[in-house]
Order: sequence, then C-alpha cells, then structure tokens
Amino acid sequence: MAEESKGLTRAKEIYQDRSRRAKELKAQGKKIVGYTCIYSPLEMMTALDLVSYRVFGDMREPLTEADRGLPAAFCPIMRSCLDLGLKGRYDFLDGMVTAHACDPQEKTVHVWECLITHSYFHFIDIPGTLHEGAQEYFKGQLTDLKKTLESFTGKELSTEKLKRAIEAHNQQRALVRELYDLRKPDPPLISGTETLQVIKALMSIPVEEGSELLRQVISEVRERKDGPQKQAARLLVWGSTIDDTSLVGMIEDIGANVVMDDHCGGSRAYRTDVKLTEDPLDGLAYYYLVELVPPRTFREAVLGETRKDYVADLESRFSYLKDYAKGWNVNGVILQSVRYCDPHAFEVQGVEDYLNGLGFPNTYLEHDYSEGSLAPLRTRVQAFLEMIC
Amino acid sequence: MTKVVVMDKDESILACIVGPTGPEQRRLANKVMEEALQQAGLSFDEIDYVIATGYGRINVPFADRQITELTCHARGVASFFPTVRTAIDIGGQDAKGLKINDGKLVDFVMNDKCAAGTGRFLEVMADTLGLKLENFGSTSLKSTSKVKISSTCTIFAQQEVISRLSEGASLEDILAGLHDAIAGRVARMVQRLKVEPDVVLTGGVAKNIGVVKAMKENLGCEVLVPKDPLLSGAIGAAILGKELTLKALAKGEPVLKKERRLEEVTFFK
Repeated sequence: MAEESKGLTRAKEIYQDRSRRAKELKAQGKKIVGYTCIYSPLEMMTALDLVSYRVFGDMREPLTEADRGLPAAFCPIMRSCLDLGLKGRYDFLDGMVTAHACDPQEKTVHVWECLITHSYFHFIDIPGTLHEGAQEYFKGQLTDLKKTLESFTGKELSTEKLKRAIEAHNQQRALVRELYDLRKPDPPLISGTETLQVIKALMSIPVEEGSELLRQVISEVRERKDGPQKQAARLLVWGSTIDDTSLVGMIEDIGANVVMDDHCGGSRAYRTDVKLTEDPLDGLAYYYLVELVPPRTFREAVLGETRKDYVADLESRFSYLKDYAKGWNVNGVILQSVRYCDPHAFEVQGVEDYLNGLGFPNTYLEHDYSEGSLAPLRTRVQAFLEMIC
Repeated sequence: MTKVVVMDKDESILACIVGPTGPEQRRLANKVMEEALQQAGLSFDEIDYVIATGYGRINVPFADRQITELTCHARGVASFFPTVRTAIDIGGQDAKGLKINDGKLVDFVMNDKCAAGTGRFLEVMADTLGLKLENFGSTSLKSTSKVKISSTCTIFAQQEVISRLSEGASLEDILAGLHDAIAGRVARMVQRLKVEPDVVLTGGVAKNIGVVKAMKENLGCEVLVPKDPLLSGAIGAAILGKELTLKALAKGEPVLKKERRLEEVTFFK
C-alpha cells in the first residue's frame, strides 16, 4: 500500500472524498453527528467523543431531488444540502445538530427531519440581537443541547471534558490563524484554493486529526518552493459560504492572489478563541453569540440607541474587516453571495460603505451555486482587476 | 455582433467592420480581421498591437492581449465625451453601467443573467409584434399615453403585450411602454452607482431614439449618444492598444511579448 499522504496532498484528498474518514470511524463504532453551519458548538460534541461532520452542498451535483422538499426560489446551498441528503449522501450520519443561523436553514432542517431519518436531532435557537438577556437565553439553549446530547450518548457531559474539548478546538483555531498568517507575505505561501481545501478537510474529520493535518500543512508550506506566484492583485473575499474551489480558483486563474477570506467555509469559525470560563457554557455562549461575525445577528455600536450613528455602527460591525484588509495588505475586496442569501445580500450595502470609507475598491458578485453560473462572472472579476491594478 | 476597428496613432479609424457573430464566425475571427486589413490596406505585420474584447475575446488567438469590454467601453466612451461620469451600455446580451473618472473605469454594475433589460427584450417584442426593430424608436415617439408593461421578465412582458393588443392598445403606446420598461430596469440597476452627469448611452439599443427618450425620463437628466454607439468598445480597445504600444516604446521595451500568427482559433477542433 502506498505511504499515507500528508499535508496539502492529504487535505486535497479529504476535500475530494470528504466522508471517507467519517465512514471509517463509524465502522470503528464512533457516532457521527452532522452540522449545517458554524453555529453548532462542536466542542460539546467532541467532549462526548462524537465525530462532528459539516453538512455541505455540492455545486457540481445537479439538483434533482430538492424540489420534493423546498421551493425553487430558495437558498441554493440549502437546496443542494437537502438534495444530497435525499440522495443518501448523508445516510452515514447518526444525528444532526442544527441551529437557527438563518431562516432557510431553519426551514430546511424541518423538511430534513420530515424526509430523512436520523436517530438524533437537535435544533438550537439563536437570538437575533445582542441585547441584554440574549446571552443568558442562548446559554439556556446550550444547556438544552447538553441534555439531549447526554441522553443520545448515554454519557455525562462533565465540565472537565468540555473544558478539554474547548482547549482542543482553540488549539485548532490558533493553528488556522497561524496558517492564515502565511498568506500575509507577497506572494502568499499558500493559495486561496489550497486554503479552502484545508478548511473543508478540517470540517470533515475529528478535531485532533484536523490539528495534526494543520501542523503538517504549515510546515510543508513554510518550506516549499512551488507556492503561488506574485500577482498585482491581493484580494479579500467576503460573503456567503464557499465550499468549492471553483470560484476562488477562477479568480486566481485570471491573475490575482486571494490572500484573505471572510466566510464560513474559511476564516469565520477560527477568528477568535472560546474563553475558558468557570462554567464552560458561559464561554461557549459568548463565543457563538457574540464573537461569530456572520450577518445573521443585528449589531450596533451602542445597544438600543435610538439616534443612530451610521459610521460608528459600521465600525462596530465590520472593524475586523479593516484588520483583514490592512493586515493582509489587500488592494481589492470581492463581495460574493449565492442568490437568495438574504443575510448576506442585505449586508452588502453596509460592507460596501465601510470599505469605500476606508478606500478599499470592491465589487459584488451574485451566483447560483453551480459551476455553470460562475463563467459569466469571469468578465466582472477580470474588469475589477483591470480597474484596481 | 462582431466589430473590428483599425486605428492609427492619431486615433483616426482606418477600417471599421460590424457584422453578426453567428455560431460559426466565432472561430473565424481571423477572417474578419483579414477583411478589416483589406479595408485599411494594411498587412497583418503592420499592425502594432491587437486587443480582443467582449464575450468572444478568448476566441481571438492572434490577439496580443485580452481586455474586458467594461474597461474598453469606458475608454471608448471617454474618447467621444471626455467629461463622461456615467456610461450605460445596452447590448444584445447584457446591460452594463460604468462609473468613469478622468477617462478611467472606477466602478461598474452588470446584468448578464436575464434577457429583460437587454436588447434581446426588444428583439423578442419585434418578433411578437411583427415589426422591424429599426422602426421601434420613431413609432414610439407618436405615443400619446404609454402602456405600463412589467420589466421583470421577457416572457411575461411578451404575454402582457399580447393581452394589451387584444384590449385595443395602439402600437405606438405599446412600444413607448416597452421602451420605458427596458430603460427603467436598466436605470434602476445603474442607480446603484449613484448616477452623475455626463451620462452617455451606448450599445445597439442606443440607436433606438425611443429608449434614449425613456432613459432621459427615468434618470431625470440629459443622455448623450455617440455617433456610432455600437463601436465604443472596439474603439476603446484600439485606443488602449495604442496606449500600450506607446508606453512600451517610451520605456524602450519590446511591444510584443510573443509571436503571433493570423489564424483561426484551434481549440474547437
């Protein structure tokens, strides 16, 4: 048998055949729990020795079954997830932990529950604002999750186990940030395409294995001589989930380096650490409610203020993007979302205003979550590069 | 449509070809080029720089560089109207809004997903009404009370036109309504760029005086149209080619980075 592959090669293999490792682990008796977005607290699953596995769509797979459960004018990513579920692609999952990250997800979860049977199912409600009481309420939601996970596994989720799991996930977050730092040089040491493959691989395997993969990738990337070439454009890509390399691959093909990203198939799950609090659920509640940046949550500079200061609000919502743009020395930002992704589409105006205020050129692309729909975007990306270079 | 413009260093046009692209011609860019060379009385070796633009830009193997139509349009429009700030191009396939500053493209919006808001919308209607597209503009100006037609979908609008006809609406009023629908849709898209004058309308649809009028009404400002609105992209490409050539010469660098031959595109074989 060939030697087991490592680093970037291994990441690419997992990216291309995501469920292989999870199925191996299932055969060894482990339970696999699917999750649809980064709002599901993986730490609580890890603490109970469950393997968490991100449910993604597949933009290369034509939708043939989704219409059985979902309307046509609806989030194409959720449609694709359900389509794959109905085709049996997720049959190996023992359960699902889902969250009200956005309305399409909440609706899809109900339909999923109707049409696809798993032995365990849990849905977490997430408050839409950060007002007083929201965090306490959300902690209650995590307490409910703890109870159902305990009854599903027949094990107790002790404070000690949870703290150790939080540490393991924080370590992975730190490693991802270390990897992203390798995109700061010019040229970056790792391409946007390769980074996507690594992140998707992380979301498909247990946390310790993911961290080991990251260590291999980091040392390989530091040493290698065949990294990306220098390009005139260094781009930040923002928006809805990117779970396929085709869009970023196209951008990099045209002649740009994607050096930073802000979407939930990239940096969003790894931006900051979960604080280790006496009751670990406090740290988790704060992290998942306050620290995650997706646009689903209403944010403002001063809670409940009635006379709005737009500039201050933008700063409070998007200052992390300034850190990305400056820290990674980008000269352009591509805002992208799949069609019908309301949370991101509504956020575009604010992000544009914020970036324009900082002087970072940007362009907005909307696509249909299919490979074919990306081709016409080529002209826009190329024109954008002609504009900024 | 396929267009070729051959230009000298004083920006005088030596040859100009406009013709339908068609499925077969897509791989025969070399034939169109030969025709242009013949018109200009030049050999291919005498051409300093070739820029390919538009959807077909990847099908021109003898081009020295590909530049998107957005950049080329901006450059071309600015050469006719140096004070342009907003350019709107409505072609057969798509509609674009360009924000231009000092002759340079600084922002853009584009509709390339839907036939409504493109020249195709009017072509479909010409077919439905059994009229020649060329007569749309002048006929619509005779309208006394334009019919409201929804602009969200070409097929729905076509059904609306048929039902308005059966209700006895006049052709003039229907045409004025169609022009208002397409202009309104494109204007709303371009408003994302915060329209500033001078506003220039180009593309085949700009030849339709009815759409120009409707665009003025929708934007609430004057709308300029170049003499040959179909050629702004090709002229812009030629000017960019001239500029790249002069820049290379000024730096003492070779103008052409690779050998080129006037031959048909090979990847279709």
